[in-house]
Amino acid sequence: MGTRVGIVTLAQEARFQLVDDAGVAQLFILSRSAAAEPAQLPELQRCRTRVRVDYRAAPNLIALSAERITLLGEAGAGAP
Amino acid sequence: MNLHPRLGDDTVANLDAVIPDEAELTAGTKVVPGRSYGFFTDTTVCIGCKACEVACKEWNNLPADDLGLTGQSFDNTGALSANTWRHVTFIEQRGTAGVRAHAQQPFQSGWLMMSDVCKHCHNAPCMEACPTGALFKTEFDTVVVQQDICNGCGYCVPACPFGVVDLNPVDGKAHKCTLCYDRLKGGLEPACAKSCPTDSIQFGEVEDLQARARQRVDDLHARGVQSAYLYGVPDSPGATGDLGHLGAFFLLVDRPEVYNLPTAPTRASNRVKPSLATGLATIGALALLAAGFLARER
Repeated sequence: MGTRVGIVTLAQEARFQLVDDAGVAQLFILSRSAAAEPAQLPELQRCRTRVRVDYRAAPNLIALSAERITLLGEAGAGAP
Repeated sequence: MNLHPRLGDDTVANLDAVIPDEAELTAGTKVVPGRSYGFFTDTTVCIGCKACEVACKEWNNLPADDLGLTGQSFDNTGALSANTWRHVTFIEQRGTAGVRAHAQQPFQSGWLMMSDVCKHCHNAPCMEACPTGALFKTEFDTVVVQQDICNGCGYCVPACPFGVVDLNPVDGKAHKCTLCYDRLKGGLEPACAKSCPTDSIQFGEVEDLQARARQRVDDLHARGVQSAYLYGVPDSPGATGDLGHLGAFFLLVDRPEVYNLPTAPTRASNRVKPSLATGLATIGALALLAAGFLARER
């Protein structure tokens, strides 16, 4: 399982985009086994909290399956 | 901490900067809750550019799927799916199906192209099949899956007569075109229709679109394209089996099957009573048969 750290910049349904500190964007789909709901993603985007995403490759998709999202408790650049 | 400059971008839409009722400028229609909106797809002017597919993926943040070669000519997406809500069908044909038959060589116009999408049925079978109410009719008379309600049972998948709804194995939920519900709420034209360079996809109020489509069919007939007809307007192919009409309807120049559309789609719920009656009749017949055998044994 891989790991990426960054902030959520886009969220729609169970899909979200994570931009890491190097500015690289990656599309994730929240896995059915993750302990999070799609409804929580827009709040992550709004707060711009740094998160760590543990992921697996999604079969036949150019996206990653987010298995676990951990809040790092550190506000991003544009946090209110 | 040193953060990448991109992280400082404003990621939340500034609604004050959106042109009010932008759809009035781009599609000539104002988006007002309580009215019926849909798509009229005129396949005779589709050039297969896939701008609609790209715009849909971009706006809805949908990943590319069905990787690899399909082996079907220019068709890279293959079909509608949980991650592909617009699909441009490429149909390679011999001859011209009567279109410009005397003006061009057959090999020059042997292509039919159609941008397929959820039909947003008036009487939506997927909605009837959904046990949780996740599929609902919006204030714009479109059909949308509410993701936090969907339990991933998949009943909507076989209920759809067009094979549109699909489950995403990653999040386990049903997905399909929302007719850009979020854009409609902001007064914007759906992304696919806005990006279409030939106006093959037209967005508007369904009644207006139907009138426009009938006019277009008359024009095509007058120009000699007698094969042109509408699919999905009342009293036409596609609007059968109590579906009412389709919110997203099409102008076609060949049989529906050629475009991978059913000739006479029906609601799955129409088959419940006959199925139940058949089941009960079978049980009754078997009981009678068993009683007959028992009587003979004695």
